[in-house]
Amino acid sequence: MGNNAWFLMIPILVPLIGGILVSACHMEQRRLRQGFVMATVILNSVFVWAAIFWLQGKEFRLVELSQSMSLTLSLDGLGCVFAGMVAVLWPIASVYAFEYMKHEGGEVRFFKYYTMTYGVTLGVAFSHNLVTMYLFYEMLTLITLPLVMHSKTDAAKAAGRKYLVFSIGGASLAFIGMVFLYHVVGDATFTAGGMMAVQGLAAAKGQNLLTIFVITFIGFGVKAALFPFHGWLPTAGVAPTTVTALLHAVAVVKAGAFAVIRITYYLFGADVLRRTWAQNVVLLLAAFTIVLGSAKALKEQHVKRRLAYSTISNLSYILLGAALMTPLGLQAALTHMIAHAFIKITLFYCAGSIIYKAHYEYVPQMVGLAGRMPVVMGCFTIGSLALMGIPLLPAFISKAGLLTGIVELGTPAAYIGMGALLISAVLTAYYLFSIVIRAYFPGKGFDITSNQDARDPNWLMKGPLILLCIICLLLGLFPGRLLEFFADIAAGLF
Amino acid sequence: MDFACNFPFFSIMLLMFTGIISMIAGPRPAKILSLAALGISTVLSALLIAYINQTGESFIYMMGHFPAPFGNEISAGMFEAVMAFGICGVAFLSLWGNGASTKTDIPEKKRNLYYIMMDMLMASLLVLIYTNDIFTAYVFVELNTIAACAIVMSKPGGETIAATIRYLIMSLLGSGLFLLGISLIYALTGHLLMPNMHEIIIELVHNSNYTLPLIVIVGLFGVSMAIKSALFPFHSWLPDAHGSATTASSAVLSGLVLKGYIILLIKLFFRVFSLDILKEFHISDVLLVLGLLGMIMGSVKAIKETNIKRMIAYSSVAQIGYIFMGIGMDITIGLVAAVFQILVHMVTKPMLFTAAGGLINVSGHKKDFESLQGSAWKDPLAGVSFIVGSLSMIGIPLFAGFIVKYYLAAAAFDTSKNTLIILAVLVLSTVLNALYYVPAISKIYHRDEASKFNWQDVLRTIGAVGDFPYQASLIIFIILNIILGTCSGPVFQALEMGLDMLG
Amino acid sequence: MGLICILLPIIGGIWLLYKKRQTYFVRLVLLLHVLLTGILLFLPDTSWVVWKLTDQLNIVLKTDGLSRIFLAMVSLIWLVVSVYAQDYLEHDENPIRFFAFYLLTLGGLTGLCLAGNFMTLYLFFEAMSLLSVPLVLHTMTREAVAAALKYLIYSIAGASMALIGFFILLHYGSIEFAAGGTLSAAVISEHRDILLAGALFTVVGFGTKAGIFPMHSWLPTAHPVAPAPASAVLSGVITKAGIFAVIRVVYYQFGVELIAGSWVQYVWIILSLISVLMGSTLAFKEQILKKRLAYSSVSQLSYILFGLGTLTPTGFVGAVLHVVCHSVIKNGLFLGAGAVIHQTHKTKVRELDGIGKVMPVTMTCFTICALALVGIPPSGGFVSKWNLIAGSLESGLGLISWLGPVILLVSAVLTAGYLLGISVQAFITGKDKNGAAAGQEVSGRMRNSQMLLAFLAVVLGVFSGPLISYLETIAGGLF
Repeated sequence: MGNNAWFLMIPILVPLIGGILVSACHMEQRRLRQGFVMATVILNSVFVWAAIFWLQGKEFRLVELSQSMSLTLSLDGLGCVFAGMVAVLWPIASVYAFEYMKHEGGEVRFFKYYTMTYGVTLGVAFSHNLVTMYLFYEMLTLITLPLVMHSKTDAAKAAGRKYLVFSIGGASLAFIGMVFLYHVVGDATFTAGGMMAVQGLAAAKGQNLLTIFVITFIGFGVKAALFPFHGWLPTAGVAPTTVTALLHAVAVVKAGAFAVIRITYYLFGADVLRRTWAQNVVLLLAAFTIVLGSAKALKEQHVKRRLAYSTISNLSYILLGAALMTPLGLQAALTHMIAHAFIKITLFYCAGSIIYKAHYEYVPQMVGLAGRMPVVMGCFTIGSLALMGIPLLPAFISKAGLLTGIVELGTPAAYIGMGALLISAVLTAYYLFSIVIRAYFPGKGFDITSNQDARDPNWLMKGPLILLCIICLLLGLFPGRLLEFFADIAAGLF
Repeated sequence: MDFACNFPFFSIMLLMFTGIISMIAGPRPAKILSLAALGISTVLSALLIAYINQTGESFIYMMGHFPAPFGNEISAGMFEAVMAFGICGVAFLSLWGNGASTKTDIPEKKRNLYYIMMDMLMASLLVLIYTNDIFTAYVFVELNTIAACAIVMSKPGGETIAATIRYLIMSLLGSGLFLLGISLIYALTGHLLMPNMHEIIIELVHNSNYTLPLIVIVGLFGVSMAIKSALFPFHSWLPDAHGSATTASSAVLSGLVLKGYIILLIKLFFRVFSLDILKEFHISDVLLVLGLLGMIMGSVKAIKETNIKRMIAYSSVAQIGYIFMGIGMDITIGLVAAVFQILVHMVTKPMLFTAAGGLINVSGHKKDFESLQGSAWKDPLAGVSFIVGSLSMIGIPLFAGFIVKYYLAAAAFDTSKNTLIILAVLVLSTVLNALYYVPAISKIYHRDEASKFNWQDVLRTIGAVGDFPYQASLIIFIILNIILGTCSGPVFQALEMGLDMLG
Repeated sequence: MGLICILLPIIGGIWLLYKKRQTYFVRLVLLLHVLLTGILLFLPDTSWVVWKLTDQLNIVLKTDGLSRIFLAMVSLIWLVVSVYAQDYLEHDENPIRFFAFYLLTLGGLTGLCLAGNFMTLYLFFEAMSLLSVPLVLHTMTREAVAAALKYLIYSIAGASMALIGFFILLHYGSIEFAAGGTLSAAVISEHRDILLAGALFTVVGFGTKAGIFPMHSWLPTAHPVAPAPASAVLSGVITKAGIFAVIRVVYYQFGVELIAGSWVQYVWIILSLISVLMGSTLAFKEQILKKRLAYSSVSQLSYILFGLGTLTPTGFVGAVLHVVCHSVIKNGLFLGAGAVIHQTHKTKVRELDGIGKVMPVTMTCFTICALALVGIPPSGGFVSKWNLIAGSLESGLGLISWLGPVILLVSAVLTAGYLLGISVQAFITGKDKNGAAAGQEVSGRMRNSQMLLAFLAVVLGVFSGPLISYLETIAGGLF
């Protein structure tokens, strides 16, 4: 491994500095601010992709914290996936945010933290060992907190508190796992195949190892809304849609899923964990969350909360794939991570457009909206079809992978997971399609004039929406290259 | 004996002497003298560390040329030297940095008395660290108490007087129990010097004689020091005292005075009794439980506080709980972690208090959070220090608090019983800490959208708010915290060596 | 070639949605479709990869014997019903939308018939389900919307269940369709249980579309609430899509070997028999005409499922024959019912006294179809029932093979009751009443289409020979 890949610091620092500058230089003028943020974000994404092409496999030691712990950055296949996804989404999301935040206010403050979050998220992606990831993970919570509380209403503050408690709590659980690994086992560097398997350390530790794994899994799983720690996500729906979409459908929660994948495959090692009681526990937790999320989405009438519950459910698809601890399982988890990110952000942005233009927040209000907002509802329909798992659209491939992986593993807990996926598919169809159908077919006696205000939003919001839809379609039609890449990553681990 | 061995004695004498001289000095000279004395002591302690590192062993220093068991003794090893260094250094920074607020809070006529009391306080702390004689310890415990009460009370106002009375009563209770313990142990062993007592006690335990009295003695020592160091449930005096006093006093009290008693306790446990005997008596279990409770209750109470200084004071209760938890775990690594926490807290809490003082100053001397909103923009350095302190308390890597939590958790894994409870409480404590520090940060950084704000203003304010000592001390504190957070290795080694030498 | 057949109606439908021109356009598209399909039928068996998603998953189109039969049936009936629909929807609010989705659904169905592997089948199955929802919704009443959602959910649930089978097959065998099955004997013996579970899920999953108990309850809700032409194709054709899928999966993938004699076969047969009996009984009691016909579909479809479940060549032949016959017949019955409702606005059976007097053509066609369904020789219904019973007896399933025919016969009696009862009421009993005097006979197009279907019903029975032998050839390859 080469060292001194100091360039890895750049994509982390650029947004941090950029964000601070937004606030410090008091960029009140909209055009200046938007231009600056966009420039920063795009520049940074370019840096990320440059790093992906040239810096894979290199590491950079920042500082040593103690004999066994150091803050080190590196870039491997998994990190590329996460970083790459984030780097593609952030610029698109920024364009949307420019328009949306016009009606929310507080834009300087918003864009400061928004930009800084980009840097911190990349920090999670570039972490070489557990303590580095833990640092960036905690920082992620702290830096996204102001975004959750952006509107400064009482509800927002309460949501922020809940978010804080859950996130710090989860991180503390993971902390315990981290201490165990560094102190009892001796090291916590991310190694393909599992540090413990590679270093032959597993045998000695026995049962405690499995308990610690479950604790750490749950700890990082809190950010990925694993039952029973999912409660913060729907409450955080009170934040502006741009926040909910990017952060709570993409960056923050995917960071949680990413962390879970890291500890399972790069620390403890799948071979150590497969077919143990620990695996059953996490499989069942994921399966339960899948069903719980879908069921609650069904009952929920507030659009953003419904989508939040849907996120909870879909995140556990990823966790389920990770918990399968087979190459196919990991491949499926990664595929769904990407697929869901794009799909969910599309759906949230549609919801955001509706809130922005028509001021509708509840499902029953969205009757007949398709006539007025054809582009938005069209994208929503594509997103819904995609999430349901229609072939030729992204989630089908990931569900395919998950189900195949389940069959490959073959344990009873895995089949329970299959049942959960089945139930969830039906529920997903219902809670998404009931919106779609009512929007297109309002029913007799529908008053045409009731949706007067609703119009498709302008190009700042429409553009990203359409672009995301197209990406969804492309992902669904041409999954080959991506799947190969994921298979390689998975193969490198086994 | 090398010249370096005189250093402990020199430091103590210097401080006492300074105190005496300051009686005839005005406020400014008094302050300069105190700072000078502390500065010199710090340097001497540093040299001592280097010396002991070189020789690799502790030494005994006779006072007054009377050999034991008749004369008085000073024992200095790595542990004592590091503690002394920390205490002197932090005291220096606290006094120096908060000079301005001291000037505001304490009337001119009394100010030299204030510095005298500080000198006495520091001197007695050093004695507690270095002494090998238990009666001397008692004498200076009393001196410590009085001096501490004095620095609380020196800020005029009914609030402080009430707090001081409370503090005094609790402290005297502790001293009384301590004296009781001393009389008992003297009766049992016939010695006042610690090593000699140790020998006798080993014999007694070996023959299973006087087990009950010994347990009572250990209990008395434990409880008395617990009262004085605000271990739960003896902490009720702390928020009043630390919350109402002037900033320099709060810093010194929270950061140093509490620790002095704990250090004495550690010495007593190690040198007089030894870890194994303690394990037999199950005292550590009691300390562990109380420590765990303190960790939780301290934070819970802090969450409810609206007065920033009281909140920080309650946070101290929680942090003291960490130390006792570490002691109570009965294994070396736990103790090392506890001692490391002593150092870390020594560096962090005064920083927080100093920063809070700064924030209060720019908010019209009001201490509640409502008035403090946005104060961090007016005094950016204080805001940044507050953030650093909070992140350290929550346990973010790069900062010292993370290392503490790490080693405490590691110790929890090594200990054979209670692992789960300790870990659970650590987790809970982290969350609780976040619950009051993060809202505090968000309040002090609160900004109305309409307010105009730009970077030039901020830069200007950095230079303008607070004088140079204030700014410098905050910056040094921050650096110290980060150093402890990143270069803990050598520190740990030193502490381990020190604890070895203790026993 | 096959791709054009699929794309034509789809593009036509989308065009219609945007251009909103009707009249001749629809008929033109459908005629073209029939022509192209016809050509396709005479081309040899082909297979064509349309799109590769991954190494294992790709979209493949294929023509073989089975697809020809279904495709011919779908195409023809779609055309006939569209003629009827044109008049029926003359005074409708939104005929354009109806025809648009009508065409789109045809596209989906065509794709389904031409599917060359499970993946393609699944894709078009889902597509067709989704595209047919607006047909149910069409009247836009609250009940219609609720019914449409119910239809959607059941469809998705069924498809999801089938998907489980899909992945099991993907893992243990292949997803290509091959006559006789794609699972090797070795795999079967090793993983029997899992494969059987998968098979059951798939059968019940796709069977949902065909109203297998217990997934049938959407049928009586959805079919009646749609406009008559839609009910016709829903009951008559779209349900057959489910059957088609079951055939493909059972005979061309899992293979008879695996399922014959296993617990899955027993469950299958029992579920179908329950549906048969339940459907007929409920139809008998039902007063709303269209709902009665819907229950009848439940019953009749389970005849077909039963036949398929016997896993014998004869049973197979009988089942597929009944597919064609029932399709024609049910469409005819629904068109007749639709005509009655259109003219008299009466939906309940007991209100139809004496309607034969005012609407003789409609009711005659209705009766002919009814007779065919009951199974009076020489109608198609008789031949298919004969084969079904023979297949059952051949199947060697012990008690069931005797119970089956018994239940089929009982059901036949009930069918006579609930269908011919209407005819009797219409012509005989109500002869002196003018209960339905408000109506008059339907106009040309509606009348002609009904007559055509009735005619076909008879023809299929009388000249069933060629069809049967063709079916036997297909069956030969499967066992």
